[in-house]
Amino acid sequence: MSMQVDTTQMEKVSFNAEQLEEIRELVARYPHPRSALLPVLHLAQQHFGYLPMNVQQLVADTLDVNLMQVREVVTFYTMFREQPTGKYLLEVCTNAGCMLNGACELLEHMCRTLGIRVGETTPDGLFTVTEVECAGACGGAPVVQVNNVYHEKVTAEHMDQLIADARAQEDGGVA
Amino acid sequence: MTTLYIDDKEVTVPANTSILEACRMHGVDVPYFCYHPELKVAANCRMCLVEVEGWPKPAASCCTPVAEDMRVRTQTETLKKDRKMVMEYLLIHHPLDCPVCDQGGDCKLQDYSVEHGASQGRYVEPKRRTEDKNLGPFITTCMTRCIHCTRCVRFAEEVAGTGDMGVLNRGDHMRIDSIVEDTLRSELAGNLAELCPVGALLDKPSNDVSRPWELERHHSTCIQCPHGCDVIIESRGDEVIRIKHDPEGAEAWICDRGRYVYDAFRSDDRLLVPAVRKQGELLACDWNEALTRARELLKDKKVGIIFSPSWSLEGLTSIRLLHDAVMNEAKVAFDLHRRDMRPFAFEEGLSMSTAEIEAADEVVILGSDLRQRLPILMQRLRRRVANGKALTRIGAMNYRTNTSPGKDALIRPRDWPAVIARAMEQLKDVGKGSPAMEAWLERVPARHEAGKLLADALMAERCAVLVGEEIRAHEDAAALIHGIDLLMRSAGHGEAGDDGRNLIPEGMNAQVLSAVFGDIRTGVGELLQAAEAGELDALMLVGSDPLGDGLFSMQARRVLRQVPLVQVGAIGGQIAEFADVQLPAAAYSEIEGTFVNMEGRVRIADKPLRSIGEERPLWKVMMRLTQELGADDVPAVSLDELRQKAAVFMPELADVFAGKKGAEWRMPTARNRNARCLPSGVEPAMALDIVSRFSMYREGAWARASGLLREAGQLFALPDVLVHPHTLRQLGLEEGECVIRTASGEITHHVGTREDVAEGVLFVAKRGGAGDLSTETSASLRGV
Ligand code: SF4
Ligand code: SF4
Ligand code: FES
Repeated sequence: MSMQVDTTQMEKVSFNAEQLEEIRELVARYPHPRSALLPVLHLAQQHFGYLPMNVQQLVADTLDVNLMQVREVVTFYTMFREQPTGKYLLEVCTNAGCMLNGACELLEHMCRTLGIRVGETTPDGLFTVTEVECAGACGGAPVVQVNNVYHEKVTAEHMDQLIADARAQEDGGVA
Repeated sequence: MTTLYIDDKEVTVPANTSILEACRMHGVDVPYFCYHPELKVAANCRMCLVEVEGWPKPAASCCTPVAEDMRVRTQTETLKKDRKMVMEYLLIHHPLDCPVCDQGGDCKLQDYSVEHGASQGRYVEPKRRTEDKNLGPFITTCMTRCIHCTRCVRFAEEVAGTGDMGVLNRGDHMRIDSIVEDTLRSELAGNLAELCPVGALLDKPSNDVSRPWELERHHSTCIQCPHGCDVIIESRGDEVIRIKHDPEGAEAWICDRGRYVYDAFRSDDRLLVPAVRKQGELLACDWNEALTRARELLKDKKVGIIFSPSWSLEGLTSIRLLHDAVMNEAKVAFDLHRRDMRPFAFEEGLSMSTAEIEAADEVVILGSDLRQRLPILMQRLRRRVANGKALTRIGAMNYRTNTSPGKDALIRPRDWPAVIARAMEQLKDVGKGSPAMEAWLERVPARHEAGKLLADALMAERCAVLVGEEIRAHEDAAALIHGIDLLMRSAGHGEAGDDGRNLIPEGMNAQVLSAVFGDIRTGVGELLQAAEAGELDALMLVGSDPLGDGLFSMQARRVLRQVPLVQVGAIGGQIAEFADVQLPAAAYSEIEGTFVNMEGRVRIADKPLRSIGEERPLWKVMMRLTQELGADDVPAVSLDELRQKAAVFMPELADVFAGKKGAEWRMPTARNRNARCLPSGVEPAMALDIVSRFSMYREGAWARASGLLREAGQLFALPDVLVHPHTLRQLGLEEGECVIRTASGEITHHVGTREDVAEGVLFVAKRGGAGDLSTETSASLRGV
């Protein structure tokens, strides 16, 4: 897929006052505004859920860098996402330690259970499954990160339970 | 200075030079890909490894500064192995499709592969696949060949100033991408193909046409703007394949106008055979018949001659000789953009070189759309801003320069007197007034704050003032230029060879024109007026196209309908429709000749291409015509004789042709010490000022004849008539059809808006229904 975009056709987005305040603080920590690119991208991703081109443009304008420089950073780090994800992002580590402890089988199991392939999102928009590089918790392999929470020594049953719990919560509308 | 040893040879280089540059300075060959002398150092290809005594591992020479007594080795067994490995890595994903790659034969990767690589790769895994990019009409891509040197990325950021290329992803997934679909928004795009060390970015128009070893190279001068860049015309037989930047030239890049104009060399618009009009139709004929017809129209008649400034110095001189020998009653004009024919305090041409301008303490652009007019100079100024140096712009249209100098003022042409007056006041306040200034100030009641920027800049020790077309085409230009001259004198910039007075000319050879035609020139407006009044029997256009270019198209159209026309030139264009006789003159690629650029640099082109039709160098056509018109003696029968005659007008030329002046010598610009014009005080008749907008893709007969430039022109087109949105709102109008009223009538035309142009100004492109508007200087707008 070509990543080329028509920048004039993008819908405009903006940060709210609180976020702008936070950005000001972040920028103040560095000698140049552009140095705050990483933390500001994290902030933007938290707020918008992912980093589509118009959000990247917003970050670029905010820090007075050009869009390409933002894209270079966003695409370099796999933790930044240019595509929307489901409400629950299930990131499975498949590096050596986790792989030896069954991460690949686990990943396959999850995909089968959810009926999607790696990188895809369930039609109800709840779950996205991705494969990531070392999560830095090899002692607890295999590791699955669900949004911001680490789950260690995850088995298929454990995973089913996690998914079922999430579903129940959604049905109850308590999310 | 630092002294070090490269392969045991002692060399001395300026401190902080990189090892690679030190090697290059002393002719030591070190291979490299990502290094480029005009770009920042990226040090990502690792091809430039050298060994430094005492260092544990090899160093990338492009990013390692020299140190005193450093001992560098460039040819060791270890390095041989290292380079082999680097090559193996670089070639991992490379497709090895040299036989079908246009870069083949002219490719660093190929050359280094032979020189430093292994004959066989060990990589057997699948190679990556990448998608090709759409980078607009001039660049075609084959991104699988990319070695990620990031030269193109740095070029877009540092040189083009658009920053729309970048490196996405990392590791094995790394790839070069651009941000905007369909194009690079740059007038320098063509340079990318030359810049890319491999065949990833290639010249689109000439792709798959030829192989480098089939081509002949001709050093030439681009005449498409006053910059006169050094170019190399590459041809196969008589056919021009492409135009490239000349690595030995004075500038580091050339622009797309100068590069892709070659399409015009082979266009149907070329005049290749003589022709005469019979029963309303232009029919090809032989030279004799055409000359006979020309004689009937011109001999003993009252004739007006309008010629283009971009002929070679010899061609221009031959026009003067024709005039002196057999047509000394003729009116002669050439500047399609000058309304005010009074002498200027400083005439056209730059007093400084572009490098000196880039390095000056302050640079002020007064009323010029420099990115379109002089893209290569603008590029230097952009680099200047990037290096933290000051740049001031005052003018009606400061947009699209791809840089933000910070000191910007948008003004209308009618504000110029007030701007200059404000600057004068400021100088007076610090005790730098003069009686001459008082006389000038007396005529201008208003003051405009933008003048502060000008006065501030003038306080610097070395200040380059670039006076552009908005002032040069002003009805009161002589007074404005006198005012600027006064300002500069008072601020301590006395007259000298490189005194910062730079009047940007319309075309090439400005200094030559002042010297050769200074005493006989008239204004194009005046000439056309005389023709309209029935005072002229015939018109001769020599390469000039007053319909497509300049400020006089409306009058020119009326005149061409009523007066017989002899057309001499290389391009027929829309003038052909009116021609009674056509005499084909050779293109600038086809002549031996001398060109002088805006800085006064002299370049002699001596290895021309052959003519492709019956066209002859202009000087031969002119001399033949002189003979036909009854001269007893033809003034010059060879280039040498012509050069001797030229030296009568410009004595320094004798030394230039004798090779006694160095390559650095620059022809001085003309000065008129007694040109003391005071502002007229006349206000424009209507509320809005008209500013004619120049497009590098559309203006000039050559550019219009190039299909490639036409295509680009369409891609980058702005609405033909533009105003600031406030201006429309104040008039209670909306973007769309409006009635534009000028002294010469009304037209209904679409009016678009842009926020980065001066309020109260109507910007008009030189084409279509709006094309004739630039004849007028003011207008009013109302709803339909
Ligand atoms: S496209 Fe060419 S210039 Fe650009 S990074 Fe690749 S090899 Fe270098
Ligand atoms: S800047 Fe002017 S002279 Fe140089 S290549 Fe472009 S058009 Fe030609
Ligand atoms: S030229 Fe030195 S690393 Fe590329």
